[in-house]
Amino acid sequence: MKDTHMQNSKISAKGVQVYYGDNHAIKDVDVEIADKTVTAFIGPSGCGKSTFLRCLNRMNDTIDICRVTGEIKIDNEDIYNPKVDPVQLRAKVGMVFQKPNPFPKSIYDNVAYGPKIHGLARNKAELDEIVENALRKAALWNEAKDRLNSPGTGLSGGQQQRLCIARAIATAPEILLMDEPCSALDPIATAQVEELIDELRQSFSVVIVTHSMQQAARVSQKTAFFHLGNLVEYDDTTKIFTNPENPRTESYISGRIG
Amino acid sequence: MTHKSLLKVDARTKKRNAAEKRFKTYGFAAIIVSMLALVTLLTSVIGTGASAFKQTYATVTVQLPEDKLDKSGVRDIDVMKKVTTIGYAKILNQGLTDTVAATGIATELSTKDIGGMLSKEAAATIRDHILANPDLIGQEVTLDLLMNGRTDGYFKGRVTMESAALDSNTSPEELALAQALADADIVHTKFNWAFLTNPDASDQRPEAAGLGVAILGSLYMMIIVLVVSLPIGVAASIYLEEFAPKNRWTDLIEVNISNLAAVPSIVYGILGLAIFINFMEFNQSSPLVGGLVLSLMTLPRIIIPARAALKSVPPSIRDAALGVGASKMQSLFHHVLPLAAPGILTGVIIGLGQALGETAPLLLIGMVAFVREYPAAYTPDAGLFGEASTALPVQVFNWTQRADPGFVERASGAIITLLIFLLIMNAVTIFLRRKFERRW
Repeated sequence: MKDTHMQNSKISAKGVQVYYGDNHAIKDVDVEIADKTVTAFIGPSGCGKSTFLRCLNRMNDTIDICRVTGEIKIDNEDIYNPKVDPVQLRAKVGMVFQKPNPFPKSIYDNVAYGPKIHGLARNKAELDEIVENALRKAALWNEAKDRLNSPGTGLSGGQQQRLCIARAIATAPEILLMDEPCSALDPIATAQVEELIDELRQSFSVVIVTHSMQQAARVSQKTAFFHLGNLVEYDDTTKIFTNPENPRTESYISGRIG
Repeated sequence: MTHKSLLKVDARTKKRNAAEKRFKTYGFAAIIVSMLALVTLLTSVIGTGASAFKQTYATVTVQLPEDKLDKSGVRDIDVMKKVTTIGYAKILNQGLTDTVAATGIATELSTKDIGGMLSKEAAATIRDHILANPDLIGQEVTLDLLMNGRTDGYFKGRVTMESAALDSNTSPEELALAQALADADIVHTKFNWAFLTNPDASDQRPEAAGLGVAILGSLYMMIIVLVVSLPIGVAASIYLEEFAPKNRWTDLIEVNISNLAAVPSIVYGILGLAIFINFMEFNQSSPLVGGLVLSLMTLPRIIIPARAALKSVPPSIRDAALGVGASKMQSLFHHVLPLAAPGILTGVIIGLGQALGETAPLLLIGMVAFVREYPAAYTPDAGLFGEASTALPVQVFNWTQRADPGFVERASGAIITLLIFLLIMNAVTIFLRRKFERRW
């Protein structure tokens, strides 16, 4: 990465509150997310983990009734500052969604779209290189190199999700947000994506929301447990899964609530 | 509990299966009825109208005596114009009589009666021809000239010897002569290009009436409708669907758009009359006014399906675009709009199709007028599309009201032309839709 000042905290959130109309979805969340690590958000459905993730690249802006207060800083810059253009922010903070959602275009165009609109390539050769690198990083190059011009929607579910990951990393983000990226995938595809996440950690700070505690345990270094809109516990993954401090965390990971 | 065999269908299942079968039958019957209606419509229209695309002509050799057509002998066009169609009609009467004599057919008809078999339009045709080529005077020319409506009707089976006996416009003798001339290859029937290029003609000469002005008028109006209502309609639907805040005002606008789509078209005619003719003082009967009125009518009919098409684009595509850092506009124009395009185009087809066939509002803005001159697309004083014109459906309406039976086939022929016009428009739109669909 270009980022040379190895700062430990990449994202820092303080007192974040999110409201959907009258519904208080996120209650006073403080969290520090480190650079070049995989951070997992776990918790039962509706606990606010996805909502909080979507705050990190301001995807919640598209929802009219959603209101966010508090402070979220990325590289010490408040991303909710009125001067910040969410478009620039989202180029820096890539996102992979729960359901694979490739554009109904060719594989090449899917990956090239981000670099094109951000002007990352000066010519076709550079663009080709970006596309190839992104597909390689997403472990899709070998399967896709001969069919770059066939539609991305024609790939299998797991390949589609890797294509979406390639698309997200093609814009050279510094942070990659993943909202339950494996929930629509079979175990084999899941394993491939997890392996990929581990590799991506070399270059990005990855934040992943997952329903599967095993997945969190496998891929992440840090884990945050959300419950009813509160951040209940946030610590090293090994600690959360072996020796959680909060009894609610323990109940959840042992399967008594959730 | 008793054991029930799967091999025996119980009463409940029987009833359900019967209901399903009935429902399928109703659906099939509905399809059959609509197909029959369509077939009946097409056979009746084509049966009556196809003959409008054929027309009977006589190949007449005419002497052009200088002493009658240009006494001065200097070929001054202004002087030559003083000879009216009546003067030319006499030359034609003589010409046809001579032609008859040359073939050796015996007839007791007078020169005037023989000449009367030609259309009244024929004199104008030859006059225009001579005025365009003054050098022909003093020579002899051979021209294909229109036969009158009754003679034409005889060759199309519309007029018979019995009906001719009761008809003051023709006589069995004339028809017999026409038949003899046809046998001698002087009278013949050929494809009627003039039907597609000529302007309308007066009540007495259905054989000369054509759709040229109406086709051009309809074409101009469709251009205006497309240029006005497509961008405005699509922009409005994009704004309402993607950008407008959801509040009481946008709800009100939505309800109003839905209502506007249901407003009877004649009301738009009154609106157009008030705004475009009385207030803005555009020429009445002009394609500009007609096109604007039809645009108003078409707008809601484009907006509603366009909004539905935009709404049906999955939100995951918008998320994907925003997620890689596309702006709202980019996500809209690069992803959402291309996906919605087929749906939007379907709305456009339906909207334009309705606009093309619309008659009522055009009657109110004066497009029902009898128009013999081609409208110019642009003239310095009338502006863009500003000259009086007529339109295909209005021409149908007009012709069905005329007394001469020759107009019956013309009206059906106009309907065929209208349908072909519609088919061409739909084919283009469907082609475009396919193209979009293939790309994605």
